[in-house]
Amino acid sequence: MIRHPVAATRTYVLVWVVLMILLTLTLGSAYIPLGSLNTVINLGIAVAKALLVMLFFMHLRSGHPVLRIFASAGFFWLALLIGLSLTDFLTR
Amino acid sequence: MADSIVLKPQFDDAEQERVASDLGIWVFLATEILFFGALFAAYTITRIRYPEAFAVASRLTNITLGSINTGVLLTSSLTMALGVRSAKLGARTALIGWMCVTVVLGIAFLAIKSTEYYLDYTGHLVPALDFAHAGVHSGPIEIFFYMYFFMTGVHSIHMLVAICLVCVLIAMAWRRSFSPEYFTPVELGGLYWHLVDIVWIFLYPLLYLVSRS
Repeated sequence: MIRHPVAATRTYVLVWVVLMILLTLTLGSAYIPLGSLNTVINLGIAVAKALLVMLFFMHLRSGHPVLRIFASAGFFWLALLIGLSLTDFLTR
Repeated sequence: MADSIVLKPQFDDAEQERVASDLGIWVFLATEILFFGALFAAYTITRIRYPEAFAVASRLTNITLGSINTGVLLTSSLTMALGVRSAKLGARTALIGWMCVTVVLGIAFLAIKSTEYYLDYTGHLVPALDFAHAGVHSGPIEIFFYMYFFMTGVHSIHMLVAICLVCVLIAMAWRRSFSPEYFTPVELGGLYWHLVDIVWIFLYPLLYLVSRS
């Protein structure tokens, strides 16, 4: 019988608590006038939340390494899509 | 239970079959990232072009319902993760329980989103229907709301699909289709659910939090 690694319930709940704290932070910080830093904070927190969900809830941390490569590939091509588009729009 | 698992002929063992299924769904999820990515790219370009209009438009969205919905969806990801964990442990009742909670949270998300759409409608924010905004930026603000409705609309359709998938998983669990050796459909359904959550994690700050201060 194969034994699959199972994370403790506590780990999942802890990740959820951090996600909720990050949600409160992103909402709260949005009301503090910081100029373009607001956007940076909002996106930074969104990336942190997405990473937590992917690493723990989607088991990328404990999963096969090739899964991490494939997940990264999606975001790599997305970065190319947005990055190369902006080379046009930001230099007009 | 273990005897009932039929290994497909192309695999050496159950573990290899499981990793292959995971890899398959991750390839699909990468295409989903790029599917939504095209919308995020269009959003980025439009926002760079009309920064003031996006700031004004974002303040017209319903921050209360949007924030509650983010909390609901993040919580549904927790219950889904706990459901997958129960499946791995072979805890059938717990699996069914967590999946039911996940479905309820998913439906709650769609109900709150529908309420929000209705409030947007009464606030004359629906483009092409009866969009009305007095001000210098009304044109680009309407573009923002085209994007708002399209992005959240496509996301809601994904939610609907995810809810249907979890319902199928509940039915399968009810018929005792899963065991600690075979729970691949639960795991794959969970991965899809979490991806839909991740899309919302990015939609939330980009649509609701552009300029609140």
